[in-house]
Amino acid sequence: MPEIDPSTQPPAGQWGLVAVAWLLVGVPLVWGVWNTLLKAAALFH
Amino acid sequence: MAGLLARERIVAKPGFNRWLVPPAALAIHLSIGMAYGFSVFWLPLSRAVGITAPITCPDTMSFFQRMVATTCDWKISTLGWMFTLFFVFLGSSAAVFGRWLEHAGPRKAGVVAAFCWGGGFMISALGVHLHEIWLLWLGSGVIGGCGLGLGYISPVSTLIKWFPDRRGMATGMAIMGFGGGAMIGAPLADILMKHYATATSIGVEETFITMGAIYFVAMMAGAFGYRIPPAEWSTAGWAAHHRALTTEHAARRSGMITARHVHVDQAWKTPQFWLLWGVLCLNVSAGIGVIGMASPMIQEVFGGRLIDLPRVPFSALNETQKAQLATIGAAFAALLSLFNIAGRISWASLSDYIGRKRTYFIFFALGAALYASAPTAGRTGHAALFVALFCLILTMYGGGFATIPAYLADIFGTQFVGAIHGRLLTAWSVAGILGPVLVNYIREYQIDRGVPTAQAYNVTMYVLAGLLVLGFFCNLALRPVDERYYMTDEELTRERGLLAAAGKS
Repeated sequence: MPEIDPSTQPPAGQWGLVAVAWLLVGVPLVWGVWNTLLKAAALFH
Repeated sequence: MAGLLARERIVAKPGFNRWLVPPAALAIHLSIGMAYGFSVFWLPLSRAVGITAPITCPDTMSFFQRMVATTCDWKISTLGWMFTLFFVFLGSSAAVFGRWLEHAGPRKAGVVAAFCWGGGFMISALGVHLHEIWLLWLGSGVIGGCGLGLGYISPVSTLIKWFPDRRGMATGMAIMGFGGGAMIGAPLADILMKHYATATSIGVEETFITMGAIYFVAMMAGAFGYRIPPAEWSTAGWAAHHRALTTEHAARRSGMITARHVHVDQAWKTPQFWLLWGVLCLNVSAGIGVIGMASPMIQEVFGGRLIDLPRVPFSALNETQKAQLATIGAAFAALLSLFNIAGRISWASLSDYIGRKRTYFIFFALGAALYASAPTAGRTGHAALFVALFCLILTMYGGGFATIPAYLADIFGTQFVGAIHGRLLTAWSVAGILGPVLVNYIREYQIDRGVPTAQAYNVTMYVLAGLLVLGFFCNLALRPVDERYYMTDEELTRERGLLAAAGKS
């Protein structure tokens, strides 16, 4: 797979923003997956 | 406002981190994905007038009288039309507005989608307040359905351009959100309805308003998070690979990935478009049929065997035992939805390594074998094997959705991939009707002919396997697009000039 051109690399601060953005969408998604897992667990009882 | 939404305004500045684009896309896809979870509203809405129990409309009342009746309740089958409207308008709007999106840019499309989806919830809230079913169909079904289509395709082209080296993974992340939206939306709606319910209200009106506002904010945040890469942007390794593809020898060697572009108005005239249309339609028809019947299927196939009553068929169970089975059926459906979203990201990412054509070969060959094995697993009572078969099938259903944008980009180039994807989504609309109709019709036909319910799904499984065999041959027939369909350098320069002009407006 191709490597990234160093001249296009984002500044370090942007990685903090990336983490916040992923948390904002990741937390609800994980909550939804957890709820679904609890529901699906009935299949294994 | 118009300037704020212009394509020119969202060109990324140097050093922009491309990993900010997938969460923006996910914010939109997780919101519109609630379309899959709308059934959570059906039961409460079916007693919107009666509150504690449904009030049935008199038999003498016509269809049109029922649509505006405020003294008796809606049937669940009437409410269920919303699903049909969702998928018909999703496909139609994506097909009609795809080309506009390429010129207007993803932010403008995302904002329009937010107004349609969020606004649709508000109109539906009014429909619940006035008890007018047509307002729900219009609000969530038609207007919301257009929001679905625009929102669904809004990030595709942008993600593919940001991740030329990981096309499948990038679009897989966004499309995974569409599969996961109901996992968040359905329990949230349940919590909100319980919170808002009173002795005189089922709480759906307030829930629609709250959810409409939440989705509007989330989608606007996503739309404003979109950035498009500058024209000269590329990853270093990909740029070298891309240059190599422009030589005839390398193009022949690389086979199914083009470095050139086909105009959207030409794409649908190619056999490749219709073969891919068939690939998507057949893969989705098979999977969507299973999703719709997952819960009753496992209950009817295994009956008492699921609750340690191995010799008791489903029809001989009492109400308490059937309630136990219903819980297991709901758990099976929930498990399938997890595998559906897991398949979206995993198969799409894998396709970056093994190629799109091979990925679909696996879907169709393995899928057909799994469908054909399901009746044996049912007959021999291997419930765990039966569940495992369908979990794997559902990963390939989700994977089919998530891998198709990258397949289109490989075949037709990236210039119009969003618009071409929009037109291809009409296959989803057709499959959304074809799959469930086929599955339900065959099951009922079998039962009417005296086949026991435990075996009523066997023929269905063989038919679904047959659909996948057809899909296999569509995929097999795919070849690179004929030379005459590609845009010339002049046409591409003119098109990019038009885009730049549109961006400034």
